[in-house]
Amino acid sequence: MFIEKEECIHIIGLLERAKKALLNKDSNILRDLSDQTVHSACNYQDSGSITISVLIYTLSKLVEREDFKKIKNWEEFIKKFNSILDLAIKAINSSNQSKYEKYVEMARTLLQSQISLKQYIQDVFKKASINKGSKIYEHGLSLEHTAKLLGTSQWELSEYIGQKHFESSHIQTMDVKKRAKMAMEFFS
Amino acid sequence: MKVLILDSGILINLSMNGLLYILEELKNITGLKIIITKDVKTETIDRPIGIPKFELGALRVQNLLNLKIIDLPDSIQVSDNQINSLTKEFMELANHSIQSHNQFIQIVSNAEMSCLALSKILSDKNIENIIGIDERTTRVISEKPENLEKLMSDKLHQKISINKKKLITFSEFKFIRSSELIFAAFKKGAIKLKGPKVLEAALYAVKYHGSSVSFEEIDVLKKL
Repeated sequence: MFIEKEECIHIIGLLERAKKALLNKDSNILRDLSDQTVHSACNYQDSGSITISVLIYTLSKLVEREDFKKIKNWEEFIKKFNSILDLAIKAINSSNQSKYEKYVEMARTLLQSQISLKQYIQDVFKKASINKGSKIYEHGLSLEHTAKLLGTSQWELSEYIGQKHFESSHIQTMDVKKRAKMAMEFFS
Repeated sequence: MKVLILDSGILINLSMNGLLYILEELKNITGLKIIITKDVKTETIDRPIGIPKFELGALRVQNLLNLKIIDLPDSIQVSDNQINSLTKEFMELANHSIQSHNQFIQIVSNAEMSCLALSKILSDKNIENIIGIDERTTRVISEKPENLEKLMSDKLHQKISINKKKLITFSEFKFIRSSELIFAAFKKGAIKLKGPKVLEAALYAVKYHGSSVSFEEIDVLKKL
C-alpha cells in the first residue's frame, strides 16, 4: 500500500531516533518507538512498517536484558545496522517504498545472522512478532489477518491474546443472555 | 437439518483446552451437522501440522474430520467454488469499508469471511445455521460496526470513517462464541466433568485461549 508523505516524514523521524537510541543503548526509547510503528503497521500494513516494528522491539529486548553483550563486536554491528537504516531513510525520503522495504529486510537479515546469538535472536524475534501482533490485533484487525501480516500462526496469537486484558466495551455487541438463549435454541 | 459452521479460532480454542470432544457429544445429542470451510481447514490443520508446537492440536482437529464429526461443505452439496466466490465478495466489502487518511484498512481474512459465505449460501437454501466464531472483528462488523469505528479511532488516535451501508450485508448472520458453545454443551450434559465449578472453569479456559468474552459476561453465564 502506498505510504503518504506525512507518514514518510514520521518514519524518517522514528528511524533517526532509533539509530540514536541504539547508540545510547536506551531500551525504553526503543520500545516506545516500536509501539509508535504499530499505527503505521495497522494503517498501511506494508512489510516495511511491520518488520521495523518487530525489529526495533527485538533490539529493545536485547538491550534491556544486556544480551547485546553476547553479540560479537556489538559496536561494529550497530554501525552496520545504522548505515542500513540510513539507506532506508534515504529511500523513504525519495518516496521509493520498494527500496525502503528492501533495506528494512536487509537490516532484519543482518540482525538474524548474528552467529553468536542466532537461535536466541530467532526466539526473541518470534516473541516480538507475537507481541506486535497482539498490539495490531488490539487496534481492531482480525486475528487471522493479523497472524498473516506478522507471518505467525493463529494458534500462537490466540494463546498470547488470551492472557491479555483488552478493554471490552467496544467489542460487546449483543447482550450475553440473548446470545446464550440463541445458542440454547439452536442446540434444542 | 441444522448446521453449525465453525471458524478456526473456536477449533483452536477447543483443541488447546482438550474440549474438542464436546462437538461429538453435541452432534450426537442434537443431530446437527458441523461444517468447516476449506480456508478454516487450512488454518486449523494444513498449516499448523507443519509447526512442531501445534502439530498435536492440528492432528486432533484432523481426527474429527476423519471421524466425520466435522465435515467439509461438499458433504451438504455446497461447492468450494460457490464459497470462494462469495468469500471474495465479502472480503472486498469488509476490507473496503473502513478508511483512514483516504486509504482503506484491511481488517479481515479469508477463513472468517468463508464462514459468512457458507452461512449465506445455507440461509438462501432455508437451512438453519449458526456461526461459531471467537473472532471479535467479524462479529463487530456484523452486529455493531459503529463499535469498530470507535475502537479503531481510539487506538489509532485519528478519525476513522466507516461505510455502514456496505456493512449492512453482514447484519443477517447469527454468531455464538466458544463461551456460548461451552454454555450450551454444559446445559446439554455434553461436558464430561461434573460439579459446581465445571461451567466456570470451562468458560475461563476458553477466555484464556482467545475467546473475546469478558469476566462480567462469564459471571452472567454462570448464573443462567
